Amino acid sequence: MLSPLVKYRQAFLVGLQSNLVYRWNFAVRGFFSLFHLAVVFILWGAAFEGVGDIGGFDLRQTLTYFVTLLILQFFISAFNEDYQISEEIRNGLINQFLLKPINYFLYRFSIFVAARLVSGGLIFLPLLVAMPFIHEYLTFPTEGWRFAIGIPAVLLSALIQFSIAYSFGMLTFWFLEIQGFVILSMAIESLLGGQVFPLDLLPAWMFRITQFLPFYYQMYFPGAIFTGRIDQSTAMEGIVIQIFWVVALLALNQLLWRRGLRLHTAVGG
Amino acid sequence: MLYYLNIWLASARYSIVRTLMFRGDFIVWSLVEFFWMSVNLLLISVIYQHTESIAGWNKYELMLLVGTSMLIQRFLMGFFWSSIFEMGRNVRTGNFDFFLAQPGNVMFMATTRKLDPDGLINSVVAAGVVIYAANQLNLSPRLIDLGLYALLVGCGLVIHYSLLVISISLVFWLTSAQGVEGTYFTLMEFSRLPREAFKGVFTQGLFVWALPVVVVSNAPARTLLHGFEWQWTLWLVALAIIWFGIAVFVFHRGIRRYASASS
Repeated sequence: MLSPLVKYRQAFLVGLQSNLVYRWNFAVRGFFSLFHLAVVFILWGAAFEGVGDIGGFDLRQTLTYFVTLLILQFFISAFNEDYQISEEIRNGLINQFLLKPINYFLYRFSIFVAARLVSGGLIFLPLLVAMPFIHEYLTFPTEGWRFAIGIPAVLLSALIQFSIAYSFGMLTFWFLEIQGFVILSMAIESLLGGQVFPLDLLPAWMFRITQFLPFYYQMYFPGAIFTGRIDQSTAMEGIVIQIFWVVALLALNQLLWRRGLRLHTAVGG
Repeated sequence: MLYYLNIWLASARYSIVRTLMFRGDFIVWSLVEFFWMSVNLLLISVIYQHTESIAGWNKYELMLLVGTSMLIQRFLMGFFWSSIFEMGRNVRTGNFDFFLAQPGNVMFMATTRKLDPDGLINSVVAAGVVIYAANQLNLSPRLIDLGLYALLVGCGLVIHYSLLVISISLVFWLTSAQGVEGTYFTLMEFSRLPREAFKGVFTQGLFVWALPVVVVSNAPARTLLHGFEWQWTLWLVALAIIWFGIAVFVFHRGIRRYASASS
């Protein structure tokens, strides 16, 4: 029963090793993220001057939201998985997977999990350094249901993140260069994922539309659960929509893989 | 000087021909940059729906600042980004040998090889944002103010170029500059903030005084908003000279460590 999982365990371990080689890059990236956090603190700090709350939340709640998103980003975001998949298709490295009993999606996902464990662990280094400066701005709600729903929501968000990156990687079967698409999608994902500003600051009708898009569930949704920006009933409704998007994206990935392989030409030995 | 101008013109011609060959790519990249600029403007728009002022700047003043920052960034993208970005990869793969063998200054050859017309096209959009904001503020700058604005934008470009070269040159010391390249954009975020928003001693010391990320956009924007201010002008010109000097030093130090990777 568990034997098929052994090969993906090996892929996970190899992924862990290769990502640990780049630990300093992740650490540097983590420390540079503190600069982004500084921009957020300065901008929103200035915006809150003279107003008690923005969108029903005070400065501390807003800054807590952005810190939470930063942590989530290092644990669940797809960093360059789309490029890696694209390179493997373009260079013919996927040919080996066509001849072996290995599911390419699960192989890449195992490596993704390993990479995020490394980057997620390393983000705590810069956060520890920043803690003396930011701790007084942090305020988290303590209701138990937020963890009960929030943790599954984070795992599902990771699946959505990876699935979207994987789909963009699959585009290489049709297009020579996907970098443009990836960065365009990054802009859309940052905006509609709530990384630029909390989505609840949008006009109500626009916010409602975003709740039906997959991007909402990439980052904003788990972040909003943990930081008290949404209530229990909205979170329950959200989990259902999030599961729908996970299933839909997994199906899309399979479709793109099968259709893409029809176009793929494996050359050489 | 004329020799380098001719080399640059040849590279520019090659880049434009290449763009015409990959028109779809050009459209996608133009949209990418346009969309990122729209995201920044949307952020301003959303915040100002909930507040009147950010550090004493009203909505259109901040839009003018953000437009100026975007203008400098688009020029950087258009003239230098691709070449400098590729430099990181080339050092890792050993393809950097190609530049060392060329008859000319290595830094010039490696950082000006490619032109990105999509970045330059979007600089028109960024300029449009500045003009729109200036109109909304009923500004009527004199010709000398516009000339000074152009000079300061040029200095800002030199500073951004230098910072980018320094960031990517880290690849000579690190195994990969994969994370460093992206984080450069984080530094650019500071240039969209008004100087008055920096309140603490630490943030002022680091972002206003030590790193030139705030002054690059604030100085030209203030010139349009308030006219010539000699402190801001001198400050920016001096910073451009100093940071360019540091970039040249770091780049050439880095080359000493380069050991190639090819056979």
